[in-house]
Amino acid sequence: MSRIFRCPPQKEPSLSARSACRQHQHSRLPRLRSRMKLPLLALLVLVLALSGCSSGAGSSDAQGRTVIRWWDTMTSEATQGALRQIIADYESAHPDVKIERTYVSFADMKNKLLLGSAGSTMPDIVWMDSPDHQSFAAAGILADITDEVQAWGEADEYFEGPWSSTVYEGRNYGVPIGSNNLALYYNKDMLNEAGIEPPKTWDELYAAAEKLSKPGVYGFAMTAVKTEEGTFQFLPLLYQSGSDLTNFDNPDTVRALTLIDELVANGYMSKEIMNQKQSDTVIQFSTGKVAMMMNGTWQIPLLRKEAKVNWDVVQLPADKQSATVLGGENWAITDASKHKDIAFDIIKFASEPEQSKKFLQAAGRLPSREDYLQDPFWQDDPQLKIFADNMSVARARAYGPNYPKMSEAIQLMTQEVIIDMKTPEEAVKDAAAKIEQEL
Amino acid sequence: MAKTASIAEGKRKAGRRYKGFSSWNNYLFLLPALLFMAIFIVYPIAYNVVLSFQDVDIYNFRQERNFVGLDNYVQTFRDPVFGTSFVNSVIFTVLSIVFQFTIGFALALFFNMKFPGRNLFRSLTLLSWMLPVVITGTIFQWMLSGDYGVVNALLQSVGILDAPYNWLSEPKTALLATVVANIWTGIPFNMIILLSGLQTLPEHLYEAAKLDGANKWLQFRHITLPLLRPTLLVLLMLGIIYTFKVFDLVFIMTNGGPVNSSTVLPIYAYQLSFSTFEFSRGAAVSMIMFAMLIVIAIFYLRLTSKEEAN
Repeated sequence: MSRIFRCPPQKEPSLSARSACRQHQHSRLPRLRSRMKLPLLALLVLVLALSGCSSGAGSSDAQGRTVIRWWDTMTSEATQGALRQIIADYESAHPDVKIERTYVSFADMKNKLLLGSAGSTMPDIVWMDSPDHQSFAAAGILADITDEVQAWGEADEYFEGPWSSTVYEGRNYGVPIGSNNLALYYNKDMLNEAGIEPPKTWDELYAAAEKLSKPGVYGFAMTAVKTEEGTFQFLPLLYQSGSDLTNFDNPDTVRALTLIDELVANGYMSKEIMNQKQSDTVIQFSTGKVAMMMNGTWQIPLLRKEAKVNWDVVQLPADKQSATVLGGENWAITDASKHKDIAFDIIKFASEPEQSKKFLQAAGRLPSREDYLQDPFWQDDPQLKIFADNMSVARARAYGPNYPKMSEAIQLMTQEVIIDMKTPEEAVKDAAAKIEQEL
Repeated sequence: MAKTASIAEGKRKAGRRYKGFSSWNNYLFLLPALLFMAIFIVYPIAYNVVLSFQDVDIYNFRQERNFVGLDNYVQTFRDPVFGTSFVNSVIFTVLSIVFQFTIGFALALFFNMKFPGRNLFRSLTLLSWMLPVVITGTIFQWMLSGDYGVVNALLQSVGILDAPYNWLSEPKTALLATVVANIWTGIPFNMIILLSGLQTLPEHLYEAAKLDGANKWLQFRHITLPLLRPTLLVLLMLGIIYTFKVFDLVFIMTNGGPVNSSTVLPIYAYQLSFSTFEFSRGAAVSMIMFAMLIVIAIFYLRLTSKEEAN
């Protein structure tokens, strides 16, 4: 501090210059005394320390390696192990790169990215839940990687559904990691006992749910919680009825909603589905409290390990058509990243068959691309094959950046009908009005 | 108050010892605290105020923002969900405070008596306050479940209920269920504060009252209550502020549902900001809550300053 205010030493003292300097110094800080230097210095150090903490993405470590920050949402030992392996393999092939992996809980990821982009703590590589991808692209948080994707040239291998979730206004903002979809799990013993086959139509589903329900057992379960999960599980019924978000206000939507309403009203499905997430439903199913459930690909490893019942899985029943919804995560690079080229190189590396398949198998997910899906791991396993075959018909939630508001309208609509606040017709009409505004 | 007094004293002493030490210098010692306040309190609130007058959503989150005047506030007041959330917040706060306070007070009077095992039981009551809210919320959600909850099993076994009741899935009881959980967590806080207040009351007043023939109720009415008044006021005010801004418990137990039957204002603001990304509208709701709490705080400050004047 003191140095800043001291007049520069001059070899040939020119009086006028020195006095000018003194005068200047005097007018700026007339009361600067030596005693003040310490606290001021402390303040300066503090400020510098604070600004040092918040330096943006893209820095290097002590060994001079480029540090790439990576955020993902994987929790289980198997999935984390697979990711750590990918990272270690990449690092040993690229000694000048260091990947710093951070686990962020699924529920926190969106908030952390939003808050991080308002501040400056951003990762380089980030995992997005596919329905949020377009919103975050629109927000300018994700980097446009259209050119890199074109140079890579593997886009055509991907299924259209997962790929469409990474595209916003014709530009690419990501690469799918893996996919999942919903199918019908059923308790083999209970169905045998009741002498019925797994349902193939809505009528059969309703009849089966009725027949399988008894004290302590609900015939069917799905989730209608007030989060994206609730929407995710309503959409298959919506698609099967022949309706869609883009054309919501029609009798087909009403029929889909009426199916849920009647299942709950007659006690074949619990009212508590409004408080039970997919991870709760699977526990009910695996302990024999539910005879059939709609649930996702990722439950297979869990059920194989933990289920106390004899179970199998089939495609969801069809109505006007057979359909299911697509879920999954995508790779993305943040706009704030200073090493987008390295980040994309890592994504390419992780998307290679060897790395990608190992992770997807550990995570109970499906490849998002046709060529990888032909692997015997998915084709020769009859249960995984059900989900693998779904991939070509599963629809992505790619309705633009306003999708979260449409999703909220659907969550409310389902709950309004379950608690008898509105008839299915009224609820659909009200929800359709909200959804149309956001399309 | 004590802090400023000691600072003033320190200043006087310092002034005596070092003649040239200007008062400007002493304020430097306040700087860390002020800096902390500025970064962690003033800045976020100011940012929120500005945000609530803008039109920030997911599209212009990182781009140019426009000022839209009172639009967000107008929209908020027109939204029926705001009315529901406000009423729910008031119900939640009033019921929580009434029960937390009375039960806490009763327990404090109880634990103020001397009996064997007092300390053990007093510590045990604190458990519900020490548990993280995430755990409390999950446990209550579990206990109140319609399908496998212990509450239904108990009520059915004693014949109060004939059939299981979905406490959290019925709009009539979802909010009340969260209130019950909140009362359970809040009782120990009330008890401990009141108990520490009770223990400062001079024993001899009660002895004198006994000599004068006052019974337990009269002692409570004319000694305990008046002497405990400052503690009671602080406790009620803090309780109201804490309870009005409850978020985590409701978020975990019902997430405001079914539909909006248990949506309180913080949940409403959160959903606007983080579920549908209407950041400015979320900020406006936060500002409305902020204003309500300021009114309560001013009321409290008035009361305490009167109290001190007396």
